[in-house]
Order: sequence, then C-alpha cells, then structure tokens
Amino acid sequence: MRTDTELKAIQRKVYMSFFQDGVWDIFLGLFILAWGLSILTEAAYLPGISFLGIYFSIWGIKKWLTYPRIGYVRFTSTSRRRITARFLILGTVVLLLGLLAGVLFGIGTRPQWLVDYFPLIFNGMLAAIVCFAAYWARANRFYVHAALIFLGAVIHQWLGVKWELGFIGAGSIILLIGLGILIIFLRRYPRVAEEVKDANQ
Amino acid sequence: MPTSNSRDQDKHNPPSIDRLIHEPARYTIMAYLYVVDSADFLFLVKQTELTWGNLSAHVGKLEAAGYVEIKKEFLGKKPHTVASLTQKGRLAFEAYRRGMKEVLNKLPSSR
Repeated sequence: MRTDTELKAIQRKVYMSFFQDGVWDIFLGLFILAWGLSILTEAAYLPGISFLGIYFSIWGIKKWLTYPRIGYVRFTSTSRRRITARFLILGTVVLLLGLLAGVLFGIGTRPQWLVDYFPLIFNGMLAAIVCFAAYWARANRFYVHAALIFLGAVIHQWLGVKWELGFIGAGSIILLIGLGILIIFLRRYPRVAEEVKDANQ
Repeated sequence: MPTSNSRDQDKHNPPSIDRLIHEPARYTIMAYLYVVDSADFLFLVKQTELTWGNLSAHVGKLEAAGYVEIKKEFLGKKPHTVASLTQKGRLAFEAYRRGMKEVLNKLPSSR
C-alpha cells in the first residue's frame, strides 16, 4: 500500500541525495584539522576563518560539482526554513564554543578540574554538535565522525598523546572518508552532457 | 452512451482513482514532485531511474492534464528545465492517495 511512510521515504531519499557527495564530510574534516593546526601554531583565528571560508564555498562547490551530476531540486519553503534554522543554530553554537574556548584560555586563574579535563569537555561538546547535525540530517556516518573527534581527547587524556594531534588525526580521517565518498560519487554520477539534457527537455 | 466495455472498466476502477496518476511511472514522478517545490529533469531521471525519453513522455502527459508545470530557468549561466506540481496536480495527487487508501481499506481481510 502506498502510504505516508512511502512519501516520507521519498522525502528522505531526496534529502539524502545531497549528502552522498562527501562535501560536508570534507568540510568537517578540514574544520577539525584547522582546530589542530590552530593549537599547534597558536593561531587562534584559524578555525573561525576556515569555518567561514569553507562554509561559504560549499554552495559554489555544490553548484559546480553536485548539481550537474544529480540534478537540482528546490525544497519546499517549510523545508528550506527548517534547514536554514538548523544551520544557523549549529553555526552559532560552534562560534560560541570557539569564543568560550578563547575566554577560558584567556582568563588568569582557572579551576583545576577545568584545566585537567578541558580537552575532554571541549571535544565532547564538539562531538555533541556533530551528533546533533547527524540526527538532524539523518546522516548516520556523522556519528562516526563525532566518535573520532571525542576519541582525539580520550587518547590525549589517558595515553598522553598531544591534544592537537588528536584533532589532526580525527580531522585527517574524516577528510579521507569525505574524499573517498566524493570519489565514489564522481564515479557513480558522471557529468551529464548538456546535449543529452537539451535533447530531452 | 457508455459501452459495456467501459461499464466493465468503471466497475473495476472506482471513480476516486485517477487513472492518469495510477500509472507507476507517473505516480513516482508526482510523488517526487509532491515532496519538493521543484526539480529539474536530471534530478527526476536520477531519482526515478526512468530513461530521458520515458520521463519526457510521462511529464508531457501530466503537463497536458494540468498537473505539472514546466519552466525554463537559469542555474548560473546555464539554462535548465524545471518541473513542479501545480495546485491542481497537488490536489489530484492527494485525492488519488485518499482514494487508494479507501479502496484498499475496503478489501476483505485474508483471514
């Protein structure tokens, strides 16, 4: 029987088709990598710049890489509003987290527990944000990314590996996963020649 | 005047079922357009797995019935053809789904 469940499945398939190019994974990988490099080089501006730079270039990349391969769809105004609101909430939380980290590092006296467990708390918060994104986007592989981010702090806390190396390791793995997905996507969906489209529209 | 053949058809096809939408390919196209605002032909080809020719033919029929609207738009500098459901198409699709549910609910249980 053709039911509401089937329509929801179609809606989900349409929505998920825009996550199969790996671009968001690459974005997250680069962002986490930027955190590691910012701690390593003490360049605090790096995550913010990379976040804004990559975020705004994603739409251009999608237009150039994704739409000519799987086509273009315009979501309903309700869906668009919901997606925009979620992006804004996540973006704001990430920026606030960055500010919080800056303030906590900047103040003179910090409670000992905060000093001891700061990497665990910070990575845990980042991982929680990625989990929210995974839940909202229903993109299950982002839970793996969240686990990798948290694992970076765990190995720092208990194995003594430098905190930035945890970020760089997690970011690199996420970036590689994204690149792998992108390669599969490019092979599966070759660019459709304009003549083919023109002849059939 | 209805022929005996068309009377037979009516008996087996309840009036609430729109036979234009009942065709699986056209139902699929309408279902995809129902959950979005609009989509281009490439997107519909990839999602429905119909051939370009099949898609064009079915969309043409839906357009002729006033269920689908076709527009030429520009994505950047490139023109592309975008399809969307009209209000009439949206209502027809909802009526079709209600009709199908009704018909299937009326079927006797197998037990």
